[in-house]
Amino acid sequence: MFRLQGSKVLAVDMTGDAVRAKNGSMVAYDGQMAFKKMSGGGEGIRGMVTRRITGEQMTMMEVKGHGTCWFADRASEINLVGLRGEKLYVESSNLLATEAGLRTGTSFTGLRGASQGNGLFTTTVEGHGQAAIMSDGPAVVLRVSAQYPLTVDPGAYVAHQGNLRQSFQSGVTFRTFMGEGGGEAFQIRFEGDGLVYVQPSERNTIAGDV
Amino acid sequence: MTTQPGTGPVAHDPATLPADDNVNAYTFCVELKGTQWFLQKGKMIAYYGSIDFNGIGHGRLDRLVRTSFHSPLHASDWVVAEGSGKMLLADRAFDVNSYDLENGNLTIRSGNLLAFQPTLALKQSIVPGFLTLIGTGKFVAASNGPVVFMDPPIRVDPQALVGWADCPSPCHHYDHGYMTGAMGGLRALTGLGGASGEEHQFEFVGAGTVLLQSSEALMAEQATGATPQQAGVPGGGGVTGGHGSQGGAPRFPGQLGDLQRRFGL
Repeated sequence: MFRLQGSKVLAVDMTGDAVRAKNGSMVAYDGQMAFKKMSGGGEGIRGMVTRRITGEQMTMMEVKGHGTCWFADRASEINLVGLRGEKLYVESSNLLATEAGLRTGTSFTGLRGASQGNGLFTTTVEGHGQAAIMSDGPAVVLRVSAQYPLTVDPGAYVAHQGNLRQSFQSGVTFRTFMGEGGGEAFQIRFEGDGLVYVQPSERNTIAGDV
Repeated sequence: MTTQPGTGPVAHDPATLPADDNVNAYTFCVELKGTQWFLQKGKMIAYYGSIDFNGIGHGRLDRLVRTSFHSPLHASDWVVAEGSGKMLLADRAFDVNSYDLENGNLTIRSGNLLAFQPTLALKQSIVPGFLTLIGTGKFVAASNGPVVFMDPPIRVDPQALVGWADCPSPCHHYDHGYMTGAMGGLRALTGLGGASGEEHQFEFVGAGTVLLQSSEALMAEQATGATPQQAGVPGGGGVTGGHGSQGGAPRFPGQLGDLQRRFGL
């Protein structure tokens, strides 16, 4: 059972079940807990090798026990995402914890990843349960539907879920090279049906100054 | 706030997003209906609809720039958003707020201003590093922590100052008793003997409002553009100190001043 205590601390009530959390993110616990580092994020040898190759590295630990455990990471804002069989795409650096019923994996993101400065791969979370993702400032959740496609700055993108197609838009024109670019040269456009999480802050991206 | 403890965050779509108002303390939503907004480069985080971002100083927008933008060298940091849709603005997870001016004027630290309506005119302030907005319209500004509004007379810490409206007299104030004399000089030079760090303030008197942020963390300053090279123009003479990002090489007599910078030398 995930719940937020304030907006920057995740409290998890456990009765013998296990959750996976970012390594070292436990700040306090109450009751009996066992912490076990999971090599390769608990995805087996194949997942481990994939993560090593793709650079989408993530050290997770498994927490098991009875009681309450609190997690936090660098005072980042925490957002809870409930999944019912959908797939959540999130940057590994933004994933804080997942419930036992969720599987994690990696997927290719293409140019979006490159434009974010986060590499070409992203982490997927799939199954039934709750996941906690982190953002710099509280994330705004934006719904994408057929009549409302959404365009996002790569630096502010945190995660998305649902059946979304993403395409990469570049507004680079000759003016960009004259130093008169629009300042938003690279954008990701989401179409389809789903939710996109954006944070009120921009990571430094290669496109940051264009 | 979108994250209530225990519940999932609220999902927004164009119908539920506010028009020209805050989504939460850190995100502001601007509604465009064929209208235009000026915004600082890179502060848009997402948008619905079709919105174009154009660097200003590009032909079609010349008239707009002439009427509401008055610092030619500063122009490269700003873009014009036009089209229709809803656009979200944010800045490094700082608090953002919108302010309405009605035939008024407000001077703000250049790094804090995010966006403004073209019905306002943006001008460089005489005070280096500050910009003045004049006219009627809405603008969006960021601050580290919520903004507090104070009435003069007041003395404020330089790092906490965000801006001021209608105040005619921003001036420096020094704690003379503490800073003068041999001991005072020594303390100022060495920091020994207990400098409190609060010997210097900005002083405001007269009618108006002073805007303060609730922290002393400064936001990165944006260049406000060079001032004309004239005697008597603050920041325009030989000394550019306090201009933030305009630092760089010291200027020597006989140099061409900012012409070199203009040509990228």
